[in-house]
Amino acid sequence: MIEDMDTAVLKSGSNLERVLSEGHFAVTVEIGPPMDSNGEIVLEKSRLLKGMADAFNITDNQTGVVRLSSIASSVLIMKEGLEPVMQMTCRDRNRLAIQSDILGAAALGIRNCLCIAGDHQSFGAAGKLKGHPGAKNVYDIDSIQLVAALKGMRDDGVQQGGDSLEKRPQLFIGAAWTPLGDPIEIRPLRLKKKVEAGADFIQTQGVFDIDRFREQMKVIVDMGLHERTAILAGIIVPKNLGMLKYMNSSVAGVSIPESLITRMEHVRSSAGDDKKKAREDQEEEGIKITVELIEHVREIPGVSGVHIQAIEWEHRVPEILKRAGLIPRPALHKGG
Amino acid sequence: MEEPSEAGQLYAPCVVACPVHTDTRQLAELISLGEYEQALELLLEANPFSSVCGRICHHPCEQNCRRAKVDAPVGLMRLKRFVVEATRDYRISRRKKLTPPHEKNAKIAVVGSGPSGLTAAYDLVKMGLPVTVFERSETPGGLLGHAIPRYRLPYSVVQEDIEDILSAGVQLRTGLVIGRDYSIDDLFEQGYRAVLLATGLSESRTLNIPGIDSRGILLALPFLKSVLSPKPPTMGKRVAVIGGGNVAIDVARSARRLGAERVNMVCLEAPEEMPAWKWEIEEAEDEGIFIMNSWGPKSVFSENGFVRGLELKKCTAVFDADGRFNPRFDDSDTATVSADNVIIAIGQRGDLTCVRGSSLELSPGEKLQCDPETLSTTRNGVFVCGELLIGPASSVEAVRDGHRAAKAIAHYVDSGDLLKQPFMELPALCELPDETAEKIKKQTPVTVELLSPELRLKAFSEVEQGFTEKEALAESKRCLACTTGALADEEKCAACLTCVRICPFGVATIEKTAIMPEEKCQACGLCAAECPAAAIALKRYGTNQMREQLQGVLSGMTPKKVPSPLIISYCCLFEVTSRGFIAEKAAEYRRSGVYSILVPCVARLSVPDILSPFELGADGLTIIGCTNGQCLYPTAEERLLRRIRQAKKVLVEVGVEGERIDYWKTEGSAEVSWTSFWEISRRKLLQINRGMMRHDSSREKTAQ
Amino acid sequence: MIVAERKPLSEIKSFIENYKKILIVGCGTCATVCLAGGESEVKVVASGMRIGFLKEDREVEILEDCITRQCEPEFVTPLVERVKNEGVEAVLSLGCGVGVNFLADKLESVPVFPGVNTEFFGAAIEPGVWVEMCAGCGNCILHLTGGICPIARCSKSILNGPCGGSQDGKCEISPDVDCGWNLIVERMKKMGTLHRLEEIVPPRDWSTSRHGGPRRVVHEELVTQPEAEATG
Repeated sequence: MIEDMDTAVLKSGSNLERVLSEGHFAVTVEIGPPMDSNGEIVLEKSRLLKGMADAFNITDNQTGVVRLSSIASSVLIMKEGLEPVMQMTCRDRNRLAIQSDILGAAALGIRNCLCIAGDHQSFGAAGKLKGHPGAKNVYDIDSIQLVAALKGMRDDGVQQGGDSLEKRPQLFIGAAWTPLGDPIEIRPLRLKKKVEAGADFIQTQGVFDIDRFREQMKVIVDMGLHERTAILAGIIVPKNLGMLKYMNSSVAGVSIPESLITRMEHVRSSAGDDKKKAREDQEEEGIKITVELIEHVREIPGVSGVHIQAIEWEHRVPEILKRAGLIPRPALHKGG
Repeated sequence: MEEPSEAGQLYAPCVVACPVHTDTRQLAELISLGEYEQALELLLEANPFSSVCGRICHHPCEQNCRRAKVDAPVGLMRLKRFVVEATRDYRISRRKKLTPPHEKNAKIAVVGSGPSGLTAAYDLVKMGLPVTVFERSETPGGLLGHAIPRYRLPYSVVQEDIEDILSAGVQLRTGLVIGRDYSIDDLFEQGYRAVLLATGLSESRTLNIPGIDSRGILLALPFLKSVLSPKPPTMGKRVAVIGGGNVAIDVARSARRLGAERVNMVCLEAPEEMPAWKWEIEEAEDEGIFIMNSWGPKSVFSENGFVRGLELKKCTAVFDADGRFNPRFDDSDTATVSADNVIIAIGQRGDLTCVRGSSLELSPGEKLQCDPETLSTTRNGVFVCGELLIGPASSVEAVRDGHRAAKAIAHYVDSGDLLKQPFMELPALCELPDETAEKIKKQTPVTVELLSPELRLKAFSEVEQGFTEKEALAESKRCLACTTGALADEEKCAACLTCVRICPFGVATIEKTAIMPEEKCQACGLCAAECPAAAIALKRYGTNQMREQLQGVLSGMTPKKVPSPLIISYCCLFEVTSRGFIAEKAAEYRRSGVYSILVPCVARLSVPDILSPFELGADGLTIIGCTNGQCLYPTAEERLLRRIRQAKKVLVEVGVEGERIDYWKTEGSAEVSWTSFWEISRRKLLQINRGMMRHDSSREKTAQ
Repeated sequence: MIVAERKPLSEIKSFIENYKKILIVGCGTCATVCLAGGESEVKVVASGMRIGFLKEDREVEILEDCITRQCEPEFVTPLVERVKNEGVEAVLSLGCGVGVNFLADKLESVPVFPGVNTEFFGAAIEPGVWVEMCAGCGNCILHLTGGICPIARCSKSILNGPCGGSQDGKCEISPDVDCGWNLIVERMKKMGTLHRLEEIVPPRDWSTSRHGGPRRVVHEELVTQPEAEATG
């Protein structure tokens, strides 16, 4: 819950900001853009998800794979009446391009920006994809420095280098957080740094281990950080056992409790040889699990919302959110 | 090998301990390499009496061998004997080649044909000075031929050494006694420029005790001489020998062989004080000789003029506080020993009849007045050497004296002056550190079986046989190759620490640049093989030796004559137990295209060493190491395998099949397994591109 | 130390195969220590080339040499002489990139080919294993991170690390790569200075690094002064 919320003192006036400032449990949903210039796909997804969330994240060359840019996709979804959360990584742009894009995004009406380091470009060459593992990465500034730069532009009217801005970008600043990442003892400190730098909201890496997440959140609450920033727990929708296992072993910061693995194993084996039934049952279980996770995190003090990631499964999101009781979303009077 | 050639250079202790500094370390190396003839040359260069010393030397080299700390000293004397026995034909053939240089106009007379006199004569003749040796008996050799019992030193062995000397042009005149048949003055009148007295200590000392004139009492040297005569003396049942030195032992053991049932040695010294060599004492006791320590002769008791026994008094101390021979007795503590014969072997002295007509002066105590540093006497042009000069000495010490005498005389003849030759000690490599000794692989010393005591007493046959070739190769392998280890060139060394990290004996260390302390280095060659700066060389077994050998092998072949496939095989030298095998089998295999090069431990092969055969046109390389678990050096095999992998990679990267390199480990014996390995490798190569690395129709195919 | 790795022999061969007389030069300093281009490697490469050319029946003369350092004129001059006197057509340098640059400079018209790929500034963490430790950024901040460089040893050169990709002490890009920030955290924990990481490190001035252009260091005291004008 963010205190001191008078519409006159809103930093960006974005829908997300206002939902949070009015004390609602916020929902953001991720939209993944295509690997080509087909804007229609983005528009389709937008239509599917309209009204399902308070704001929609558009990833920025996620996992080092070249996709339709976050800014462009944000503009597209705005056409359908959705509010975008633009994502900006440090991997592909130096501080000049970053600031330039921020100014452009603000000029185009984008109101939310998530600042992240970005996966290493080598990730782009995985599975069937060739990617661009030989690209020269930038990492001129890191995510924390980016948050600070953005805050400087918005609140102090200066570019990172010191030159002044007349019309400041009005952006709600977000940062990512991996509550259960290695080394775990440094994670609260890192969150603090992001908050100090100026992060208004946080979207976490996918949470599955509720107990451990709860413990970590206690630390955060003790530090008072939940009052200075809005923490949205990341919820990844699992499709099947394979996905759970893969995330557990190969995705940093995601840990799946044994109970969930066993639960999904049971569901799969119950279907016997019927592959179609196995697939459908697991998907159904996955949705069940997602809903439960949402319900659990809602109970945890310090959590202000959820950030739903349903990778290439956006069409099931409405159903999930309905079952979780998060639909309809608050319809707020749009500020100036 | 007299003076140190480089400041700070250290020598192997065996070399230092040898009175003539025979390079025994190199001896072991040459034997390992199969260079027996070269080994013989090495021996003879220092010691013309190598055959003799190979039998009877007291081997101070072995007593200082650093290997003793690991398991046992290397049997250097037996290795010497092996070389001499293995090169008999060569020795004879080389005699014909010995031609002394143009003669100088100054003839030298040497009186006495023992080891010191003959050595001096030999050296002088090689310098171009004509020498005549005067010997009073009918045969040369001095005590070597006239006293030392045949079970220790067959005369044929003595003859072997003396033949070399006489073939070189030394004139020998026998049957002439100085002081009786001619005098020193006579020699100068006959035109000799210098006279060398090398008459040794040819008289036995006697005792002045009551009853000494009884019958049946003999003196050691005449006794020993008569033992060697066609009619050896008969011994009574019980014999007493007075004395505790080597001559006394020789006397006692000869008496046993002549039928004495009970032989007692009576000596003043306690067991550990006895001057006789320990092994001689042991062999004597094995032959049933009883040693009565710490007794001195008091009187002889006889019956009818014949000796019946000795009365003895207890000797309480042999040496006084100053270490001088000054025996003290307790007359009240007596004993008797019965004897039918008593032989006195209490020491020798020089026969000074030579002094007659010589104007040589004697010193108080009836000894010749002479100077051990210049070898001169009180008369100009008269020199002394050998036991007459230095007192009781071993054969090798007599040889050394002979070398010194030749130098002194040559100098005198050239300049008219005396040459001072102070005794100089060569600096020896220090003791093997304990922590290094622990890491060295133990190898049981080759033991030679002695003839059983019962058989020994039957006659004067040799007590021990020499090494077989297999035994000699096994024993020479044990040599630690002191002072021939690794040396890092400080100009090239980058202090990269590779040698420090891989040395299996923990020897290499960095002091600005790499240092391999000589006292620890085992000359295994692993550091040299891995050094990225190619900065390390070994004084022993450089691999450039091998590269030269290789080039020699391959350059001798015209392209048409190159067999296909052509295989070079590096084989571990330490597995070979017979040179004959290498000569026969290798020649046979050369016809089928396999050329073997022996390397002492194939783990010293660097990657360039492994690649060079291919550079020079070989189609395949076969490396054969020691039997599993036999490699002398820890970690060596693993390192070699890694280098082989690297070399294979290089070949593959330039388009040549990596399978052209094979690595085998000897199984059973080299003689058995190597030939089969070569065949397997050959057959495999034929499968790859018909064996050849590159197509060359001019090359003839070897037999399939 | 500069760490380099020898290029594949097939690549090297393609550089030199059309020349008749080649000189392979090693370097006695870094290249030797990291086993890439010392005298021993020169022998190996020369051997490999000769074998490769022998197989193709090509006649190529390959000379070998090694100098203390390829980046000093005094050490290079004799080499230049040799190239001239012996009619060497091409030089293959097994020294680091600096050496190649330098040799090419001194040799002017004789082509110099690189025989190794120069990789990084690093050290051996165990015999035979070298890792990158320094990025040559021109403004060292190791006092802030317990002696572990975040620019060289973090894949993203993050100054306020670690990122969320750190897993079991390893970087997200590979299990063979240590997470530099994990190392920093562990180190500073041991030193009791972990709390210093709370401070936000601002965006870095990269102009002192290669990003600011090729760099230069001058020590006036050694620079050869032009002769002073003659006074009366």
